[in-house]
Amino acid sequence: MRIAVSVFVVAYLPSIAFGVDYERDIKPLFRQRCAPCHGAVKQEGDLRLDAGALIPKELHAELLQRIASEDESTRMPPEGAALSEQQIALVKAWIDAGAPFPAYEVVPRSPAEHWAFQPIERPAVPKSPHEHPIDAFLFRDGAIPTPASSQALLRRVYLDLVGLPPSLDEQDRFAKHADWQRVVDELLARPEYGERWARHWLDVVRYADTNGYERDAEKPFVWRYRDYVIESLNDDKPYDRFVLEQIAGDELPDATVETRIATGFLRLGHWDDEPADPPTDRYDQLDDIVNTIGGAFLGLTIGCARCHDHKFEPLSTADYYSLVAVFNPLERPRNGRTEEPLTIGATEVYAWREPSAKAPPTHILLRGSATRPGDVVEPAVPVVLVDSQPSFPVPDDKTTRRRLGLALWIADEENPLTARVIVNRVWQQHFGEGLVRTANDFGLMGSPPAHPELLDWLAHWFMHDADWSLKKLHRLILTSDAWRARKTADSTIRYRRLEVEAIRDSMLAVSGTLNSKRFGPAFRPAIPLAAVEANTDKASVWKPSEEPEASRRSVYAFIKRGLVIPMFETLDLADTVSSCPQRQVTTVAPQALTLFNGEFTQKQARALAERLLNEAGDDANLQIELVYRLALCREPTEPERMQVRAFLTDESLEELCRVVLNLNEFVYPE
Amino acid sequence: MSFPPPFSRRRMLQTAACGFGGLALADLVHAASPTATQLPGFMPRAKRVIFLFMAGGPSQMDLFDPKPFIRERHGQKIDSPLPPQVIQVGTEKYLALREMAPVRPRGESGMMISDLMPHLASVADEICLLRGMNADNPQHASATNQFHTGVFTEVRPSMGAWISYGLGTENQNLPSFVSIHAPGVRTYGSGFLPAAHQGTPLTVPLNEQTLPIENLRNASPSESIQRHRLNLTQRLNQSLAESVRGDANMEGMIQNMELAFRMQTTTPRLVDLSNETKNTLELYGIGGGKPSDRHGRACLLARKLSESGIRFVQVTMDGWDHHGDIRGNLPRLCAQTDQPVAALLKDLKQRGLLEETLVLWSGEFGRTPWSQDLSGTAPIDTHGREHQPESFCAWMAGGGIRGGMTWGETDHMGYNVVSGKVHIHDLHATMLHQLGVDHTRLTWNHLGRDFRLTDVHGSIVREILA
Repeated sequence: MRIAVSVFVVAYLPSIAFGVDYERDIKPLFRQRCAPCHGAVKQEGDLRLDAGALIPKELHAELLQRIASEDESTRMPPEGAALSEQQIALVKAWIDAGAPFPAYEVVPRSPAEHWAFQPIERPAVPKSPHEHPIDAFLFRDGAIPTPASSQALLRRVYLDLVGLPPSLDEQDRFAKHADWQRVVDELLARPEYGERWARHWLDVVRYADTNGYERDAEKPFVWRYRDYVIESLNDDKPYDRFVLEQIAGDELPDATVETRIATGFLRLGHWDDEPADPPTDRYDQLDDIVNTIGGAFLGLTIGCARCHDHKFEPLSTADYYSLVAVFNPLERPRNGRTEEPLTIGATEVYAWREPSAKAPPTHILLRGSATRPGDVVEPAVPVVLVDSQPSFPVPDDKTTRRRLGLALWIADEENPLTARVIVNRVWQQHFGEGLVRTANDFGLMGSPPAHPELLDWLAHWFMHDADWSLKKLHRLILTSDAWRARKTADSTIRYRRLEVEAIRDSMLAVSGTLNSKRFGPAFRPAIPLAAVEANTDKASVWKPSEEPEASRRSVYAFIKRGLVIPMFETLDLADTVSSCPQRQVTTVAPQALTLFNGEFTQKQARALAERLLNEAGDDANLQIELVYRLALCREPTEPERMQVRAFLTDESLEELCRVVLNLNEFVYPE
Repeated sequence: MSFPPPFSRRRMLQTAACGFGGLALADLVHAASPTATQLPGFMPRAKRVIFLFMAGGPSQMDLFDPKPFIRERHGQKIDSPLPPQVIQVGTEKYLALREMAPVRPRGESGMMISDLMPHLASVADEICLLRGMNADNPQHASATNQFHTGVFTEVRPSMGAWISYGLGTENQNLPSFVSIHAPGVRTYGSGFLPAAHQGTPLTVPLNEQTLPIENLRNASPSESIQRHRLNLTQRLNQSLAESVRGDANMEGMIQNMELAFRMQTTTPRLVDLSNETKNTLELYGIGGGKPSDRHGRACLLARKLSESGIRFVQVTMDGWDHHGDIRGNLPRLCAQTDQPVAALLKDLKQRGLLEETLVLWSGEFGRTPWSQDLSGTAPIDTHGREHQPESFCAWMAGGGIRGGMTWGETDHMGYNVVSGKVHIHDLHATMLHQLGVDHTRLTWNHLGRDFRLTDVHGSIVREILA
């Protein structure tokens, strides 16, 4: 054994000397094994090892000696396994090479100074020739980027706000009279706006129609929550109110059926109806809520503090369990394995209930273990975010009103995170990339904002000038020149593939078969047989809806955690279990196969070909013009027209429609 | 491995008269899975893995680890070793349930294998039996996630995706990770790893109507029409690609379509068994009406895919979840799987591939030595067994693992592991080690932290290495 190891080390060393890489080999090792005690959060012995610039040269020798020490009392790190021989060899090789690190490396700051925990103040808009504040922040004295063509802009704003391309009439109207402000206002007033933007919020709150796990049962009436989100956005409900309703809609003085439906937010998590270990399962459910609250509203990875103080953020287990205490009074209405809705008046509501105004005690759990209760904690908010704890309201005769206390603190203008986080989400959806790229993580480990002053200005403006109105925020962003610029490799606005919902809905709109029916129980699109092959209950697990129900907008599609619609899954639907801050854009062969050969595309191509025949007749030139205008909202260029004409001499119109629906331009709008 | 400088590919795209036609094949696929990380590590003993996943949890006591203590007390109450907070349904009587068929010493090593698996018994000296397997969750979904990804609930990359990421692809016309009859997306997902490492789920066609991969069949009436359609699409795409030079996604989309097009041709050819010899078909137990037909096809396909350079091929054989009538059910499952599995080993061996191919056989957990009867009134002979993650059996073969070895022991009743414990994390670490990858260095930074397949756990089981 011994021999094998030393042979390995000898064989290994030359390649290290050759290729030790700080970013690859050293920084991750130090961050993982050393930074928990010698980092931004804790600095034991006044030493930090979480950035190259902070490691003093005079300590190199001792550092090496301590990590290689065989004496348990002096060896570093003191907890866990010693560093392996190869890790030690890597550190030595790095030090021997002069301990180089990149000049651009960002040194994490101590938590108290962390930008996102500071109060939101309004920076002055920079002096600039550009009138729009966003452009003034982004471009200062620089030139305004080239705007996109007006046809491209029209398609962009439609897909962006309502997730559907403009009709021919709408294109004509804009061509005659390009009133940008009016287009934006009209789109924001359309019900399709809520259907488009609700889906992003549903990602953030881990929405699905079933519970996951073994039986993956349907969550009864959960679709009312989905409809609530759509309607709230369409009504331009102020965001602070939106927050209050979802966390504490039943505890508000003006609670209604609608605000109770809103609290369905707390019950959207996956749920095991037959847990092996019920006490642990109970804490898993509370963990799901605390985690989602942290990520969705505050941009904090609080869940990491469940078993130990957070290693990289200033969050302790006491902070975590103080939040658990807020939700501990909740009880899931159920009859054995079967979930039940609440009945409020005549409406079934999918939400938790608080059976009593007296809260059960909440303990800190040692190492996160349900069988090892420690100190009792009271409801509180993370200490690092406040100078003094907010006062939680006293229980009334029905509930503990703990959630109301937390919600009021989150929705308060003094909260340093809430407005920054939501403004960044909206920015991200419009531009393809957030000012903070980690939309669910504004903590020390999150990425720093690209334009911190702009973010703060927007957050402050959003609260104080726009009164938390999301529609005003959309309008502000969409009227900036930054948003209307041509997309290039380095423009602020990025090329980004449309989400699967917008791809599917656009195909339906273009082919003329979209069913615009709103709200209510979800529909189930047809799925390939192979998708249910692995299920034991193949026959009953997925009963597809009939037409025209099957051609409704994708936001109304049934999201089953255990059997995600293959087209949605292949085209990067959000993870259905935890909060998803931004869709991934992956590029794998099954996507091309789905769009190129899939049943859905074929069907839309057939319908589109029929539409072309009906509306353009037999003239190939008119057909080509029409299909370009419908699908891409522009006329074909001359070379395009020629290539397509040549294709049509050999192949059918239906084949051409398949090509058009597969164009990158269709799914990557300019 | 050398990659062409990125601009050359684009320049070719811009200049090639017919767009894509002029592009080198190899170039395309390197771009399609660009993140193959060449990790410094060990001398690899295996190049590829075939994982035979017995979904549902086969009963180790009936197949590999019989206990005289249980046999002698058949039908009698035994003391429950369960901790008080664990609640099982239908096992309250804790009746000992003897093995379903004799389990005897096999091969030169005397490895214990049931009469229900005569074919596997004939290759006992090739395999290394792990009798001290250990996992942490008694539920199918969570245990299956743990077995494939190392964790119960979070969305993490599956082991095949990690291996694809660590080793890259050997075959440029096929994905590097294929999962035949995959039991859910988590088992082949790439989690936070780049999507190129996601497994491609595949169904073995039992007839002409079924496709091995969803939407693999050309939707145009002929291949030439489709080629025509593809060419037009790519040409029209080109102007957009030029206007956003350097956009990896856009190029990815273009290359992707080409790989998809090729897979339409390569995959059916691999899946087509009509050119296999009669001997091969017989070896695997393939033939209409035979109970082993379906898994025989899957195992033969796994060999062909593996042979053509796919890094990680998984074959799932489900139906092992025998809560009731295990006496009737277990022989049925063995008849479906035993011959195909043994044939795979024999076939790899005769082709000289076993040495470089690591074969792993396991369920997500095992089953209890005591009986389960959900009705509460059935006679003992129709009882089944409950899930048991505390101890179960798996085996490995080839890929530098010692053949004819039995490793690990359980206690008198077959509940706790008393020696040679191999936790899932240890199994993962060992598998990666055999592929020449240090499991502590195969990492991906996600949300500010480095993640591994083995998280912060895992030790290599050096005792079983050849």
